[in-house]
Amino acid sequence: MKKIIFALFVVTILGSCTKDFVTTNQNPNQISDVLLKQDFNLVGSPISGMLFNLNGHQIEEDLCQDSWMGFMSTGTDFVGNVNNTTYYIRWNAYWGREYGSVMSPAKQVIQLAEDNNLPLFATWAKFIKILSMSKLTAVHGPVIYSEYGSTAATIHYDKESDLYDLFFKQLDSIQTDFAANTAYKGFTKFDPSYHGSIPEWMKLVNSIRLRLAMRLSKVAPDVAKTQGEKALSDPAGLITSNADNFTNDLLGNIMPVAQICYQWDDTRMSAVMESFLGGLKDPRVSSYFAPVSNATLYADHPSFPYKGIRNGAYINTKAEHIPFSKVNPNFNDPPNGGTTKTRRDFTAAEVAFLKAEAGLRGWSGAGDPKTNYENGIKLSFTDWGAGGVDAYLADNTSKPLNYVDPVDGRNNFTSLSTVTVAWNDADSKELKLEKIITQKWINNFTNTLESWVDFRRTGYPKIPHVAKNDSSPDWGVIPADQWIKRMPYPDNERVGNAAGVADAVSKMGPGAKDDIATRLWWDTGNPSNF
Amino acid sequence: MTRFKVFLLFMLIANVASAQTRELKGLVTDAANKGVPSATVKVKGSKTQGLTSVDGRFTLSVPSGNIVLEVSSIGFEPKEVAVAETDNNVSIMMTESSTALSEVVVTALGIKREKKSLTYATQQIGGDELTKAANNNFMNALSGKVAGVNIATSNSGAGGSTKAVLRGSKSLTGTSEALYVIDGVPMVNNKGGQPGSYGGTDAGDGLSAINPGDIESISVLRGASASILYGSQGANGVILITTKKGRSGKAVVNFNSSTIFDQVSGLPDFQYRYGSEGGDYSWTKPDTSIHGPQLVNITKSPIANIMSNSYQKGYIKDFFRTGITATNSVSISGGGEKTTAYFSYANTSAKGVMPTNTYGRNQFSFNQSTKLLKDKIVVTSNVMFSSEKSRNRPGAGYYNNPLTGLYLFSRDRDFNKYKNNYAVFDTARNMPKMNWYSTEEKQNNPFWELNSDSKLQTSNRVIADLKISYEIAKNFNFQARGNIDYNDVILDNRFAADGNSVSVSPNGTWSYTRYNDKALYADGIFTYDNTFGNISVTALAGVSYQKNSFNDGMNVGNGTTSLQYPNFFSFSNMPSNVIFNKTLNRSLKQGAFGDLTLGLKDFLYLDVAARNDWASTLALTGNQSYLYPSVGLSAIISQMIKLPEAISYFKVRASLTQTANEVPFNVVDPQNSIGSGGTINRNTQVPFTNLKPEKIVASEYGTDIRFLNGRFGVNFTVYKDVSTNQFLTLSAPSGSGYTFYYVNAGKIVNNGFEFTVDADVVRNNNLVWKTAFNGSSNKNKIVELIKENPKYVVGGQDEGFDSRIMAGGSFNDLWIYKFARNDAGQIILDPKSAIPTKAQNETKVGNVNPDFLLGWNNDFTYKNFFASVLVDSKFGGVAFSKTEAFLDSYGVSERTAAARDKGSIPINAIMGTTAVTSIDPWTYYQNVGDRNRIMEPYVFSRTNVRLAQFVLGYTFRSQKANPLVKDASISLIGRNLFFFYKKAPFDPEQAMSTNNSMQSNDVFSMPSTRSFGFNVKFTF
Repeated sequence: MKKIIFALFVVTILGSCTKDFVTTNQNPNQISDVLLKQDFNLVGSPISGMLFNLNGHQIEEDLCQDSWMGFMSTGTDFVGNVNNTTYYIRWNAYWGREYGSVMSPAKQVIQLAEDNNLPLFATWAKFIKILSMSKLTAVHGPVIYSEYGSTAATIHYDKESDLYDLFFKQLDSIQTDFAANTAYKGFTKFDPSYHGSIPEWMKLVNSIRLRLAMRLSKVAPDVAKTQGEKALSDPAGLITSNADNFTNDLLGNIMPVAQICYQWDDTRMSAVMESFLGGLKDPRVSSYFAPVSNATLYADHPSFPYKGIRNGAYINTKAEHIPFSKVNPNFNDPPNGGTTKTRRDFTAAEVAFLKAEAGLRGWSGAGDPKTNYENGIKLSFTDWGAGGVDAYLADNTSKPLNYVDPVDGRNNFTSLSTVTVAWNDADSKELKLEKIITQKWINNFTNTLESWVDFRRTGYPKIPHVAKNDSSPDWGVIPADQWIKRMPYPDNERVGNAAGVADAVSKMGPGAKDDIATRLWWDTGNPSNF
Repeated sequence: MTRFKVFLLFMLIANVASAQTRELKGLVTDAANKGVPSATVKVKGSKTQGLTSVDGRFTLSVPSGNIVLEVSSIGFEPKEVAVAETDNNVSIMMTESSTALSEVVVTALGIKREKKSLTYATQQIGGDELTKAANNNFMNALSGKVAGVNIATSNSGAGGSTKAVLRGSKSLTGTSEALYVIDGVPMVNNKGGQPGSYGGTDAGDGLSAINPGDIESISVLRGASASILYGSQGANGVILITTKKGRSGKAVVNFNSSTIFDQVSGLPDFQYRYGSEGGDYSWTKPDTSIHGPQLVNITKSPIANIMSNSYQKGYIKDFFRTGITATNSVSISGGGEKTTAYFSYANTSAKGVMPTNTYGRNQFSFNQSTKLLKDKIVVTSNVMFSSEKSRNRPGAGYYNNPLTGLYLFSRDRDFNKYKNNYAVFDTARNMPKMNWYSTEEKQNNPFWELNSDSKLQTSNRVIADLKISYEIAKNFNFQARGNIDYNDVILDNRFAADGNSVSVSPNGTWSYTRYNDKALYADGIFTYDNTFGNISVTALAGVSYQKNSFNDGMNVGNGTTSLQYPNFFSFSNMPSNVIFNKTLNRSLKQGAFGDLTLGLKDFLYLDVAARNDWASTLALTGNQSYLYPSVGLSAIISQMIKLPEAISYFKVRASLTQTANEVPFNVVDPQNSIGSGGTINRNTQVPFTNLKPEKIVASEYGTDIRFLNGRFGVNFTVYKDVSTNQFLTLSAPSGSGYTFYYVNAGKIVNNGFEFTVDADVVRNNNLVWKTAFNGSSNKNKIVELIKENPKYVVGGQDEGFDSRIMAGGSFNDLWIYKFARNDAGQIILDPKSAIPTKAQNETKVGNVNPDFLLGWNNDFTYKNFFASVLVDSKFGGVAFSKTEAFLDSYGVSERTAAARDKGSIPINAIMGTTAVTSIDPWTYYQNVGDRNRIMEPYVFSRTNVRLAQFVLGYTFRSQKANPLVKDASISLIGRNLFFFYKKAPFDPEQAMSTNNSMQSNDVFSMPSTRSFGFNVKFTF
């Protein structure tokens, strides 16, 4: 008996079988690469999420450039009303979104595409990496690109001039790959933006090249002209009609601008939008914003029933600015009474304004600046569903309004801009550019990053300073006559890749700091654009 | 052997027995004339023996003629009593053992060991102590009664969870909570979600499934060495629960009924005389056209505050109701010589102090034990079933919490209007809508919250086990057991449409979770026990197998994405882009272990143990098999050498253990998930292919010493636990291609001491007074986190405070922003606006864990009266109240009203170069109050000393030979009655959350309660 039990005991130990361990330690509710091979989902299924994540939400956009550029303003006194909107950095999340949700899956897609002999998916993912990094560099300056995926202890950042060169070079090869496969249908199922049309993606490649070239028009005019003209002359063409617009599917999520405004009650129309749209009698205002019901709020302009909040405002309590103008409820998703399922990322109007500027700069193939300028406004009106474009284009007297905050006089401002809409061939190039960039800015509502680039590059539109400037040596001091220049690198890089950040700062030029007061490479500080 | 033969054998034994025996009844009591339960009563020279019932009674079939009874029990001197042939009813008084020599305690795996041979600290508490004050969660009854256990109880009321940490936090990301073991088998104690700053509700834990009335005793094994046999899950210490068993003899029926009333006792100090005109705040703000230095007035505020003595008062206090918890339980115990059984049923029905909060629980327990094959085989089975249902369990935090709207209600408004019409009809939507004056995200009409939003939690749990033990030879035993622990949980939270738009979708919000936890456990253990001359040998060896699948189920929540149709909470009504998540967390563990204790002459013991674990969570790492050893030594000095008369017992002990801590499921090679819109979210975690288990090296040294024939004793232990290979999540460098990764890093040291001092202060025929102090102190130090990166910090700013984990700090350090001050200590006022400014960086203001815990427990018996008094205290540590910060910024705290009465607040400040000695209250409180401003005024000392428990009762003892009711007692109970000392404006021990974070923190969590009631007990 004793022996039997002892034998059993030994068997139990030796037989203690660990072969189930591997499967036990896997979560059956996660989808494996083996299953994803079916229908080529392995390479295609992350694409819609990557495209979605090219854009941010509240902390990446709304409390950053949406506010700094005077599109939306917050009436909530976040962190004691000392925060990004008043130039004291509390949130710095776009970096993490781009590396975590675009770059990392793109790297995997490229690898998987190569492993599975689906090279065009690798091309696609490489292009999406450029879309992502060309946005991120506009926020921070040098970013990790050529050394991305390195296992070295220090990962170096790309100097901006090198980065743009690399972008242009890679766009060449991407365009070549696409051009050889224009009839390829493999993207169809995975492409919420262009439904698998390679020719449409090629238009975007050219348009991105034009956008990036224009960024360099002052700092590296020769490169800008070469690349700009290449974009303008490429046979695949540019985004020219609203049907070509590059939009991203919201994947069933609510448009951030509506969620922040309606659900969280944290933002309202910006006073800067009120000043320009009201002053220039812009019919697009009713597409962007909702009128307010309390007429005492807009007693300063009774025929224009909108009221915005100053950017970087003084705020006593959140409740005070709640009655101000919300965004148009159409930005809500269908279950919330709206219609919005996608968001704009690059529109035909923006391309038209780029061409107008290219024309001013004498780039060949750009066409007539006036035609492009007016076409840009028309495309924008159509895109936003606004009428009355002819009267608007002809208006050479209306100017931006001065702003009155009915609840706190400290937020009042006198408009710095005296721009009008109507094109005048007799105007100086500088004034023409101001008109182009001002209109480009108005059109870029909900897609605001490039307007921040334009503002730093050209100084247009002429928007007011923040009412409350909390910039300090912590993150860099912005003088009273200046605006925020860039975002610092996020904490995890400052701590986890300190040598990389130090190297990046050294690549930003003499005297550069990792702060909000250091200018990016293409932000030359020269007030003259020509 | 056929069943028939077994039956025949039974009949034969029964017949033989009845032919030659008589029935002997008896009562075994202690010196205080109180029944001694579980004493062994044996007829000398025969195999006949039995155990006494809970009240000390026994019935035994004894041979006719004169006999001698041998009576023994833990903690008493063994006694022999002669019983005459004619004597059929005996009364035996035991004397408590003068030394702890013969004391037997339950240790790991449910094995009973002589306490003297233990090389580590352990403390045992009887079931009586747990039920005395009618706590419906046994762990709550333990606070202050055992040294070295830091217990935080959720303030969410009946069915709420508990956090019990023995000897400090040892794991950065794990819970560091003790393992609970029932009759030797690990019990699942999966804690549900806990509230944070933004809201949430305590989702309970597994402990409330245990009926405290079923507990015979609890042993607390504080150190790793005590728990090594449970493997890595026992690394944080073990709480061993031994359940009541049937006793042979006539059936004993116990009936117990308690009714406890709860009252809110710890409300913040509110004001009701200052208001505003139609705002959210009860402040009159300065005119917006006046800003700057005008606000500072040395003598008086420039603001004409709006004030009235006719504002409504008392509505906050009246909002809460008297909670009632009624518990009725019955147990039946009995059996014959071969088979014993125990059955119990308990029903708990509770109404919380928060209106609409209810809790109901039904518990059944059945166990039996049968001896077979000449008593060589014992088959024991045990089944426990518990069904719990709680409705509208109160939460905490900003969102969907009735307390925010209740507390912050601006004083000039009509509260009754919102009480009676919490919903108004929204003609635009043809449905009811929340009626509230404020649109703030954290504000709701409290009555809407209570009546329109419903929270349901149910849990149905079965724990069943079967144990077979076989006496292979006289000194050689084998036991095998199998256990299943199954729990089915539903969490169903519904928020009505047209409520708060920030947290609830326009058509309502539904969050639904349903899952089960299933744990299979089996082990087989050989034990060997023998003495060879002066050497005693106790050895055990065994294997165990565990298969856990936790959280096996699903969850879905629409958040603020709208349901398709309002106020219909069903899967078909979910919007198309909501993801239904299937959840699972599983593991397989196998262990082989051995333990050898060698004793020399009953005074020197060496204990050596080892265990090897194989864990599926470490599959593919090459580290899935890991071994850890333990060694200990104890010496009974009082047996070795002659000590002064006054010292009756003196033992010293030391032990050194290495153990390992668990790692989580599915971190070695995770796969991808599906995100909204059907996109695939690729896994971006670096596969952790060299993952190791966390390692703890624990050493402890202690002594047990008793004086004056054992009437006075001291038990003292010092320990040091060094935890390394901490499992840590780190964000990956942006350029690496990944987003996060795990490392094994860090070094945490916990060291401290524990002591118990107990004394029989008075012991005579009428009066007995026993007293005990349980004290402990733990110091936690994070020596190293990431070696290459000494400044690395885990944890970040959480809404006004920061619980940082970094090298050089301690677990649960609290960091907040203080005022900016100059070198002279003056608060720097902004030169333009005159507001107090905030320091650039956060400052560590303390650690929330107390430095020293002390409980003082007293038991009195005077004739038939009994009383118990427990004073529980915690010294040191800080407590943090964001509630108070909010009350100040909204101007509803009495503090702000008193300041307004005086017109200014004294301050030692400087503006530019001008010293400022007083400041306008509004200016001050707007800049310190609310969620993340200058939190310095809201950090308090955690130190508190309370009358935790007071029980006074009377026992009726029947003098008749065959009474219908043998025993009855009635007692009055009070819990958490008052504080001798407390500085924090809330009770830091009634926790908002029982997770690692948010300890000793208050964000609109439930006010503390005081409980009193009565208990009636009958024994038939």
